[in-house]
Formats: sequence, C-alpha cells, structure tokens
Amino acid sequence: MKPLMRSFGIFIRQIIRDDMLWAVCLAPLLVALLFRFGIPYAESLLCAYFQKRTILAGYYLLLDLVLCLMPPYMFCFASAMVMLTERDENMAGYMAVTPVGKTGYMLSRLVLPAAIAFPISILLIHFFSLTNWNYLALSAVSLLMGLSSIAVALFIFSFSRNRVEGMAMVKLSGLLFVGLVAPFFVLSGAQYLAAFLPSFWAAKLCLEENSLLMLPALAVSLIWIWALGRRLERKLY
Amino acid sequence: MRIWSLLRGDIRFQYKYGFYLLYLVFSILYISLIFSFPQAWREKAAILMIFTDPAAMGLYFMGAIVLFEKSERVLDSIAVSPVKTYEYMLSKLLSIGVISVIVGFSIGFFSHAVNMTARFLVGIFLCSCLFSAVGLLVAAKSVSLNDFIISTIPAELLINIPAIAWLFGWRPGWLLLHPGVCLMELCENGKYAFTAFIILVLWTLFFALIANRTVKSMFREIGGIKL
Repeated sequence: MKPLMRSFGIFIRQIIRDDMLWAVCLAPLLVALLFRFGIPYAESLLCAYFQKRTILAGYYLLLDLVLCLMPPYMFCFASAMVMLTERDENMAGYMAVTPVGKTGYMLSRLVLPAAIAFPISILLIHFFSLTNWNYLALSAVSLLMGLSSIAVALFIFSFSRNRVEGMAMVKLSGLLFVGLVAPFFVLSGAQYLAAFLPSFWAAKLCLEENSLLMLPALAVSLIWIWALGRRLERKLY
Repeated sequence: MRIWSLLRGDIRFQYKYGFYLLYLVFSILYISLIFSFPQAWREKAAILMIFTDPAAMGLYFMGAIVLFEKSERVLDSIAVSPVKTYEYMLSKLLSIGVISVIVGFSIGFFSHAVNMTARFLVGIFLCSCLFSAVGLLVAAKSVSLNDFIISTIPAELLINIPAIAWLFGWRPGWLLLHPGVCLMELCENGKYAFTAFIILVLWTLFFALIANRTVKSMFREIGGIKL
C-alpha cells in the first residue's frame, strides 16, 4: 500500500507542478455552472424565439451525463498525459521494477484518480443536475463513467509509442464518447452500432431506466479495460 | 539545401507518427457530419471545423513534437549542427501547413460547402503557420505535456472566441485586426478579403519572429548553459 501511495503522490506532485490540478478541479465546476445556469437560460431564449415549448429540455439528461463524466475524464486525461511524459523519460519502466510494480503503477495512475473522481461526480450531479436522479442510478452511472474514463486513458497510452502518437490518440479517443450521444439522436436500431462503446450503455441505462442494462454496461467496460490493460502490460517492461 | 532536408525529416516524422492517417479519419468524419446538417448551416459548419481543427493543429501538436524531440535529444543534435533557428522553425511551420491545407481543401471540396478559392487555401495556410508559431512559442518553454496544454488554453481562447463571434454575425469593423477574424473573412471571401489577407500575413510574420527568438534561446539552453 505504501509504495502505491507514494507513486500516487508523485503523480499528484506532477500535476500540481504543471498547474494541471487546478484545471482538473475547476473545469468540471465551470461546466457544471454553465450547464446549471446557462442552459436553462438559453432554453428560455430559444423557446421564445422559435415559439416552441421545449427545444433543449429533451437533452438535459445528456448534459447531466456529460457533467457526470467530466471529473473522471479530466483526472484520467491528466493522468494519461503524465504517463506519456513518464514513458518518454523512461520513468514508467523504472517504476515498474520498483516495489510499485506494473500493477501498482497502473493502479496509482488510473484507478486511484478515477476512484477520487467518483464522489465528485455524485456531488456535482447532486448540486447542479438539470434532471431528477435517484442515488442508486447516479452511483451506477458515476461508476460506469469512471470505468470508461479508465478505458480511454488506457486506450491513449497503449496505442501510442510516444508523446506525439499519444496526442494523436487523445484526438481519436474523443470518438469513444460518441456512444453517449447515439441513443439520444439515433432512434432506430442503428444506434446499436455503438453498442461496443461503454459510454453507449451508460446513456442507454439512464434513458430506459432498466437496471438490467447495467450488465452489458459493466461487461463492455470491463472487456475494454481488460483488453487494453493487457496490451499496456506487455508494453511496460 | 538544409531547409529541404529538415522539411523532409519533419514530413516523414509526421507521417510515421500517424498525423496523415489521423486526419484522413477526421476528414471523413467531418465531411459526413457536414452532410448531416441542413444546407443552410453547411458553409458555417465547414469553416468552423476547418478553423478549429486542421488550421489549429499546430497549436495542439507542437508541444508533443518539441517535447518529444527534447527527450530524444534530437534538438541537441540540431543545436550543434549548422542548421539556423529560422530554418528549423520554418520547416515545422511549413510541414504542418501542408497537412492543414490538404485537410482543409478536402473538407471544403468534398463537402461542397465552401467556395474553393486560392484565397481560402492561402488563408488556411497562413492561419496554420500562425497557430504553429504560437504553439512553438509555448512548447519551447514547457516542461511537460500537461504544462503545454494548460499554457495553450489562453492562446486558444484569444484566437478562437473573436473569430467564432465574427462567424456568427458579431461584426464590428475593428475586429478585422484580429488574425482569426481575418481567416473567416478570407474563407467567406468577404468585402474586406484583401485587407484581411494583409493583416493575417503581418500577424503570421510577427508570431514567426517571436517564435524564432524563443527557439533560439531554447537551442542555447539545451546544453545546460545560458549564454
């Protein structure tokens, strides 16, 4: 446990040094404020202008999901950037042969940040949500968002050999969140084309309020993490 | 010609690390997205996409490129070679400019959303050089990727917000002094396109000169000694 915490301490120190910690903490809060106060205002303006009763209101749930995703995503993104830097400077390899080990390294860089983000997601939704949530569903969705964020960070890290490819992967990894949008905009069966994405099932779970959907959601997330984690393990020597 | 060798090296580097492949994927994605919009939105959407992605790619990728070169000690070799700093900088700006123009052209041309003119392509190229120069400026001073990303946020906001405001109709005349707005004017082939072109060239030169100075001091510091 001690080496793990120490490795996590190094991570925190690094993001403090780069001022990234501020961004990671402030960005979700800014988004929350924008969604909570800006969106209903924009909705009232739009409705008045187009003479309709609702325009954006149907997508409030989607915005809440994005808000729920923000904390784990920001933490895991900062973490992926630190991991890319550490690999180019050979730090990752050194960490893997210390008592931290490969697993400890991955835990301290991916699982701990996502775990810290979990209560933050719940608090953000509690104070700033646009729709009504029950706490069981909220915990489930926060958990799924944490898992997808871990999958994204793993994706960035395991498909790149250095920082440059890492940044290209960051761009590409945004596509993994297309799953969040699909159930809201693609109403036909074609939406299931996105079923291999963990974010798709999180959105589906909230839309249909069917707790059975938690099963495919967890399964898809864990398959992603398992497959990418194995790939990463082979890359860390 | 040293600059050709540098340019060839940079293009090979960008090809090897997947820039061309990445932008092939994104071009296809953007073009399909544009087709999913109603006709009336397409031109604005295409210009917005070109401005915020291929034209701005230098600002996004420069940190990774320069930091990677630092960690692989490429810069040490370049610093002791006869290569001049402006050649190094030009090669970075041109190689990224090439990708921006190709991608910008493909998005505009295949989506049939933008009226393709030489002005439009020159605008993308200049804007891309401008973004890359700003990226180079920030990258030369950063120590890690997180550091670079945080430092580029103010630059992104300063360049993007006025330009996007212009695109969506907020058009006071003095805003034409802004480089992003100049690109919008060039893309839309507006009344003041020629003035916009001159202003954009001046901005690009200005930032290239500052970037050149920063790169020069970075090369001096690489050996660990500040001269």
